[in-house]
Amino acid sequence: MTTVAGALTTVKRRPLLLRRPTKTTGAFSWFTTIDHKKIGIMYCATAMLFFLVGGLEALLIRLQLAGPNGTVVTAAQYNELFTMHGTTMVFLVGMPMAVGIANYFVPIMIGARDVAFPRLNAFGFYVVVAGGIFLYSSWIPGINGVPNGGWFGYTPLTDTPLTAGFLPGRGPDFWTVGVVMLGIGSTTSAINFIVTILNLRAPGMTLMRMPVFVWMMLVVAFLTVFAMPIITVALIMVFFDRNYGSLFFQASAGADPLLYQHLFWLFGHPEVYILILPGMGIVSEILPVFSRKPLFGYSVVVFSGIAIGFLGWGVWAHHMFATGLGPVAISAFGVSTMLIAVPTGVKIFNWLSTVWRGAVRLTTAMLFALGFIAMFTIGGLSGVLHSVVPSDTQQTDTYFVVAHFHYVLFGGLLFGVFGGFYYWLPKVYGRMLDERVGKINFWTMLIGFNLTFFPMHFVGLYGMPRRTYRYDAGLGWDAWNLVETIGAFVIAVSTLIFLANIIVSIMLKRGAVAGDDPWDGRTLEWTTTSPPPDYNFADIPEIEGRDAHWHHKYTEDEEGRLMPLPSGGAAAAAEGDGHHDGIHMPSPSIYPLITGLGLLPLGYAAVYHSFAWLGVGVVVLLYGLYAWAIEPGTEPDESDHGGGAPARVPEPVH
Amino acid sequence: MATIEQTTEIGAPAHRGASPGHDPHATATGVPNTKLAMWIFLASDCLFFGAFIATYLLYRGRDKVGPGPKELFDIPFTSATSFILLMSSLTMVLALAAIQRGDERRLRIWLLATALLGATFIAGQVFEFTEFNHEGLNLNTNLFGSTFFILTGFHGAHVTAGIIWLMSLWGMASQGRLKQGDSEKVEIAGLYWHFVDVVWIVIFTVIYLVPQPAAPGGG
Amino acid sequence: MTEPTPETGLARLEEAEAEVSGRDAGTLRRSEPGPERPGPQRREREVRPHPTPLQYVLIAVILCVVTAIEIAVSYTEGDIPDALIVVLLMGMAVLKFALVAAWFMHLRTDLPIFRRFFVLGIILAMIVYVIALATLNVF
Repeated sequence: MTTVAGALTTVKRRPLLLRRPTKTTGAFSWFTTIDHKKIGIMYCATAMLFFLVGGLEALLIRLQLAGPNGTVVTAAQYNELFTMHGTTMVFLVGMPMAVGIANYFVPIMIGARDVAFPRLNAFGFYVVVAGGIFLYSSWIPGINGVPNGGWFGYTPLTDTPLTAGFLPGRGPDFWTVGVVMLGIGSTTSAINFIVTILNLRAPGMTLMRMPVFVWMMLVVAFLTVFAMPIITVALIMVFFDRNYGSLFFQASAGADPLLYQHLFWLFGHPEVYILILPGMGIVSEILPVFSRKPLFGYSVVVFSGIAIGFLGWGVWAHHMFATGLGPVAISAFGVSTMLIAVPTGVKIFNWLSTVWRGAVRLTTAMLFALGFIAMFTIGGLSGVLHSVVPSDTQQTDTYFVVAHFHYVLFGGLLFGVFGGFYYWLPKVYGRMLDERVGKINFWTMLIGFNLTFFPMHFVGLYGMPRRTYRYDAGLGWDAWNLVETIGAFVIAVSTLIFLANIIVSIMLKRGAVAGDDPWDGRTLEWTTTSPPPDYNFADIPEIEGRDAHWHHKYTEDEEGRLMPLPSGGAAAAAEGDGHHDGIHMPSPSIYPLITGLGLLPLGYAAVYHSFAWLGVGVVVLLYGLYAWAIEPGTEPDESDHGGGAPARVPEPVH
Repeated sequence: MATIEQTTEIGAPAHRGASPGHDPHATATGVPNTKLAMWIFLASDCLFFGAFIATYLLYRGRDKVGPGPKELFDIPFTSATSFILLMSSLTMVLALAAIQRGDERRLRIWLLATALLGATFIAGQVFEFTEFNHEGLNLNTNLFGSTFFILTGFHGAHVTAGIIWLMSLWGMASQGRLKQGDSEKVEIAGLYWHFVDVVWIVIFTVIYLVPQPAAPGGG
Repeated sequence: MTEPTPETGLARLEEAEAEVSGRDAGTLRRSEPGPERPGPQRREREVRPHPTPLQYVLIAVILCVVTAIEIAVSYTEGDIPDALIVVLLMGMAVLKFALVAAWFMHLRTDLPIFRRFFVLGIILAMIVYVIALATLNVF
């Protein structure tokens, strides 16, 4: 096919390189896999692990606040807990969870066999793992560096030098370096998503035929790509202020500490949409399937998602209304914040209209999706209150704000993610999760969630400040705080029920066999087997419209009633065992792992100013990069079938 | 049928079972994966440098203590190094033109020339930093010191990464492993290199050329 | 029903960009018989050839001349108003930026998707940082 290939085949021996891993099964293969599906599973498993860790931190926080004058943790430990809880839930749970689900399903939903950059994809995952290990290694005794300046890390609190710092220990150093690492990981995965979604669509899969989840991930990827550099710059400045005496946020030298807040929220507000848009996408997939109706107003949902992506850049200062921005700025940002509620509200009505008069099946996935709508609406309404500046000023730094963002991020993103798990895990493992247990899971989650976070509205309005590690009795907060703590434990129980469901139904294989299309689904992932083969599709599908799989199965009679097609979708399923031998998938590679983990020593080098760590990191990183660049993406096939079937190249589409 | 796919710097074969890297028409948008990824990265880097430049502008002229840009800048010297970086963009496109017509000898020459011009720029920057240091400007002297060193320093780090990249390509070309069909690798590296150059065009104007604020203490 | 292409959402950005690249490219168009501006009928997939080495050198010469003028202008400080100097310098910096991006980075001849994304990044950066600086009372 190409001259390049011919030239490279002769270079069989590659000195200095490790033997190319070939196995695609077994425990070790997970470290070398570049299969987007396995990487997706690893992302989700990692995120679930950190969800448990972050949840434990939350439980400790709730235990401390269960009654007045709590004594469970000290003030310093409390600072560490809420900082790590926030950082973990945003960077190590919310983002990787969405990226993991998207990693698995975006390529399948657009009819592709893989992502655009399989090894870069694996690299992004290992960087996130390295960042997580790095942040949590600060808890090793003797390091004295648990981040303790909040997940936002405001200056001047965080950027005073180590020796004269207001914050004890190396917390902000670990935090800045760790978050920069996580930013590198999410940027690479975002670039990969953009290229994959734009370039690898199957023939006929125009942009406006893509499932809404894919669309939302495209918007999220753009937000990530543009938001991450901003926080990187802010963190670099904080790091240099602390470690090398620069003066970026030192008011005594004439600097403006408020600059940090601008940079942080310039990243931070798009980040909010990075977290919630995947949830919206998942819900937009679940609702039509279980209502047996197409999504109401597809293009409006898509364009309101894009509108959120754009408007999300114009509202950051509403996090800073209490800092004295001046009346003009405050009014402008107040208005833009009200404005962004419009596309969000549009989506909610589209979802409701989708369910309206549908043949609704209340499966667990559907319950979580409906729960998402209800909880997210509550969170959205309390959010609109923050666009009203006097109201916002009153609520700033109270538990009202905590209530608000937990309603959008837990009630929004995580309800969407749980719904997505119940919806898609049968595809991933070929086994159904237990529906009865699932419903218990949903209802305990809903009750626990509301018990925990709804009273926070009240205590917030009663004046209970955020991040306070203890409070006196008799302020009217005691009873509600106890209720919140009980609710938090209900959430914990519900999470354990979910894990038990996964263990029993999937790991112990007690769940019913799912089959290719257990939900009577509408999108392409239901055309292939459960679990899908390495190459996803034996034949790249040809797409003729939205809800591609639905139209394989159903047609309408003259009166607009649904009629099953005689073939029942079987024709579209990935049979094709006869000719998949010609499909060459990229070979596994160890170098994404080596390169990604090479950032770990560099991180310690930065925090400890250690040239030894620096040397180790640079050597590992450069070795990984060079070996990566030299090794071919796909090894020449040992069992090449003398030409094989021609690899199917998707035709260009618009 | 050959199955090895092109690898790129940090990129992988474009598509499982297919290799759109060779044929841009195989992708849905008609553009090669790696090139699209590089442009998105460059768009992202605009936000990165933009934040540093905005910080520099915010703190411009706010210093209470010197030395400031008025005392330190040596415009003829920095103009010369800026000119060198600008010309390295020319040698870069000439390298691309060479590989596109299959002229491997000129490819090697121009790649090496680009890397050397870049290295000269970096040498000039190191010299400039040392000079400023001797004249009393450090990262912790004043806001000008902090913003200047970090902005130009991170730009220099980008240039250094570009030099390493170019030298890697040059090494591949010297071993005869960079053929006419690999021109995309040179093009991607070139995009990065030109971007670093245009960022310097902005930095050079904003930091060095515009009229400087009055020296601290001098009113 | 028309199916929007990947770029419809960003169409407005392209106009702004076409203006920039069209203007500064105009002087060198003589040897380029290709279409002056992508008309609405132009298929996306038509890629015009990259410039010739001679054109590259010509662009470099222009860049040198502009740089020389820039440095000369910077030495007029005190003779003409500072505001005028700033405007002149920024104008020339934009010109140089556009020349390199359009010719050396081939945005002029490549598919528009690249310049749309790049211009999106530049415009986004300018808007958010200008607003941030404005709220910090820089202007």
